[in-house]
Amino acid sequence: MSTQFNDVALDALRELANIGSGNPSTALSSMLGRPVDISVPIASALALGDAVDAIGDAESDVTGIILGIVGELTGSVVLLVAPEDAETLCGLLGVEADSEWGLSALGEIGNIVGASYINALAAMTGLEMEPTPPATVTDMLGAIVASALAEHCDGSDVALVLDSEMSVEGDDCAISFLLIPQAGGVRELLGRLGIES
Amino acid sequence: MSGGGQMARMGEYAVSRDPEDRLTALGLGSCIGLALVDRRTGVAGLAHIVLPVGTPLETDPPVKYAPTAVPYLIERLVALGARRNHLRAVMVGGASMFAASSKLEVGARNAAVVRELLERSRIQIAAAATGGKRGRTIRVYVGEGRVTSRVAGSAEEDLVAAASVMAFA
Repeated sequence: MSTQFNDVALDALRELANIGSGNPSTALSSMLGRPVDISVPIASALALGDAVDAIGDAESDVTGIILGIVGELTGSVVLLVAPEDAETLCGLLGVEADSEWGLSALGEIGNIVGASYINALAAMTGLEMEPTPPATVTDMLGAIVASALAEHCDGSDVALVLDSEMSVEGDDCAISFLLIPQAGGVRELLGRLGIES
Repeated sequence: MSGGGQMARMGEYAVSRDPEDRLTALGLGSCIGLALVDRRTGVAGLAHIVLPVGTPLETDPPVKYAPTAVPYLIERLVALGARRNHLRAVMVGGASMFAASSKLEVGARNAAVVRELLERSRIQIAAAATGGKRGRTIRVYVGEGRVTSRVAGSAEEDLVAAASVMAFA
């Protein structure tokens, strides 16, 4: 059985991610004391091999904050912050990016943004979803993203990725955040929305 | 991209007997990059294995699951002229990137299962860089029979040196 998702299903998921990213951007904005813009998310169902390339250069260094989702819809939320953006964010919070404080500050940003995203999705869909405690790592983008994908790709030949981006106004600084749901759970979700996938 | 050669992305594999070729799997986290090399015939292969167990769908890429990946890669190499009993293995990856949040331990289980499958196929492991918390890149230089590993922020290091330096089997 192939697990393709049609355009209507992907549109619905994009819209869900779009509305769901309102809360986290408000949370980030109040943390930083700056306006935060969100871009329209990209929803894609990709071959596993293409998924990492679609997100970025696999060998580039990046800080990733990952939260698991447990409940009726399982998956992961992964925030990715490039080194120059990590420096800007830490600067806004008054800590050194290259220190333990810096990593901890980024972890906290990830925690707040990720948890509010998951809570917004839960509220919208009526599905029970809870974030697990975050883990923060600085490593190769491929190693971070592929490890998150690996946990949710059994039983599906596509990697479903909802890719959103927040940018801090006036600072040329962006955070991308990915929702990587387990494909089976997404079918259930689409079913509740009355959409055939 | 540090150009040239063939890429083995998640669930994909590459095989070659072109001495100029290089096989690469970038940014392995919990996944395993499994290199099999026959130095006598100059045939080498690399599989980017994702999961230790599971039931492959017909539409899944060929080396997503370890139990089907190992025999599949061996078969492809033999078809390219490798001798099964000359094959030596190098394993890279199987890290635990998010120790705090993941209870699945995909990385450790990947490494254990691939190791066991190699043992059962009577293929010697020449070198391995597995476990820990860091991501790695594996490169196989087909002509030299050399295999390297690189951790983020560090230089590429030989796991198996060029053929002229180290006698194999």
